[in-house]
Amino acid sequence: MAESVLAVSGLRKTYGAAPAVDDVSFTLARGGSLGIVGESGSGKTTTARIIVGLERADAGTVTVGGHERSGRPVGRAARLRWAREVQMVFQDPFLSLDPRISVGDALAETLRLHFPGTDHGARTGELLDQVGLGGRAVTALPHELSGGQRQRVTIARALAVRPAVLVLDEAVAALDVSVQAQILNLLGDLRAELGVGYVFITHDLGVVRTVADDVVVMRQGRIVEAGPTDRVLAAPEHPYTRLLLESVPRPGRDPRRIAGARRALG
Amino acid sequence: MNTLEIEDLRLTLPGTARPVLDGVTLAVGAGETVALVGESGSGKTLTSRAALGFLPRGAEVEGAVRVAGQDLLAMGARELRGVRALTVSMVFQDPRTALNPLRRIGDFLTESLRTNLRWSARRAGDRARELLDAVGLDERVLRQYPHELSGGMLQRVTIAAALMSDPALLLADEPTTALDVSTQAEIVALLADLRARFGTALLFVTHDLHLAAAISDRVCVMYAGRIVEAGPAGALFGTPRHPYTAALLASTPQVDQPRRRLDAISGQPPDLRTALAGCPFADRCRHATDLCRAEAPVSTAVDGGTVACHHHTRLTLEGITHHG
Repeated sequence: MAESVLAVSGLRKTYGAAPAVDDVSFTLARGGSLGIVGESGSGKTTTARIIVGLERADAGTVTVGGHERSGRPVGRAARLRWAREVQMVFQDPFLSLDPRISVGDALAETLRLHFPGTDHGARTGELLDQVGLGGRAVTALPHELSGGQRQRVTIARALAVRPAVLVLDEAVAALDVSVQAQILNLLGDLRAELGVGYVFITHDLGVVRTVADDVVVMRQGRIVEAGPTDRVLAAPEHPYTRLLLESVPRPGRDPRRIAGARRALG
Repeated sequence: MNTLEIEDLRLTLPGTARPVLDGVTLAVGAGETVALVGESGSGKTLTSRAALGFLPRGAEVEGAVRVAGQDLLAMGARELRGVRALTVSMVFQDPRTALNPLRRIGDFLTESLRTNLRWSARRAGDRARELLDAVGLDERVLRQYPHELSGGMLQRVTIAAALMSDPALLLADEPTTALDVSTQAEIVALLADLRARFGTALLFVTHDLHLAAAISDRVCVMYAGRIVEAGPAGALFGTPRHPYTAALLASTPQVDQPRRRLDAISGQPPDLRTALAGCPFADRCRHATDLCRAEAPVSTAVDGGTVACHHHTRLTLEGITHHG
């Protein structure tokens, strides 16, 4: 097995009576790409938030690059180190960018925080270049950019700290198909170039097919199936994975049968 | 007579350099499902709103929008209210924003018939029970509040509400986008059942070409305020005639195709601040010639549909064949 950059073991998180995440374990190879698929309530987003450190698990461990991240980071240095290990890109770039701060300033702020006393101008240019934005974007405010360009900015900001792992939570779900394809291709290029690993949270099996080497299928907080993407999509073993695959719209699909299969799963 | 006829509809918003809808023509027959597909800003939602007589404030309007033979653009406010209450209904993307969280489902379902047609509470209640049954919900739902139901159940409620007045035309704007994929399948099956049972014409607005092909008789593909291609769903997929349709197919991640780099469409759709001399897709089209940049192609009838491309007769574009 390749060296893993991220290992999640026995994660559990309960809100009220029902477990949102229940005994979730998986690993991500260095520079690998893992898709987590599931519907609302499957626990995929909670898992992502625990990995990043936005939520604390009730039980289980998250290990990034050999460091176990237990509890809460204590002190400024530990917080910054956590942030440098794992970065997150959210669905809506409108909500994750400050409308009053220009693209260049947003990147510079992150760089100042993590790498004080280095030349941020050159690095900002390099980051914008990597995500396919021209130098002109430096002075742009978020509202002057298209949805796809804004998502490029949030990716550049996440990459600014040279993270080992990028957690992408439905990062292309809000984009139009033609723009989505540009961003998916960009993410593929960046992974090859930088060796950053991806945890790709999505409900879209087509996206998983395109970006993920391995896939984890979650339902009601638990992993119901996991394996190489090619195998899982070509020969799904769990009925829920089969249901998800059959639900993908295509001419000639039979929605009534899908509705029946869904009820049968309970 | 078609239930909905939109004819050469042209909408120009103040302060823009080109019409936001530029000669849209489409028809939906009784009991027929037509999908309107496009990316954000393509004008698909504006077109569907026009079928309710809703036009943006200050817009210059040309063309005709006829529902059951009546031109909505020539109607006064009172007549339009009548059309919206009784003839045309709409189902929105997010059912949670369509329902008042403080009112019971029963009130939501019966309100329109009681206020617009002065139906008695009993009569409207009977109709509500009939429609809840048609959408597969128990009548217990009548006394429940929106927060007590799941997203899929709520979308069933809004569909029942839309059908209360037995409308001739149902407009559905991304009605399954906010739902999980397997719930989406249920709602799509439900809409298909209902249109067969009630003979309702359905205009289904979506950004998802695959969903459009799975549910509709005909698909209209919109780009920059124009319908660039229209035709039977199967043909549109197997042998697209417009480069934009083919490019959309190629850029969509597919579950059942071999893993590959996506053929992204470079650039972005034209914005409303620049006037367009030629074909709106010319700047992003790998087949574009000088003619495309100079002159807008007109919509031409082809086998079973229309296409607006100068080169449609000489292009052979790649479509998608589905396995299984």
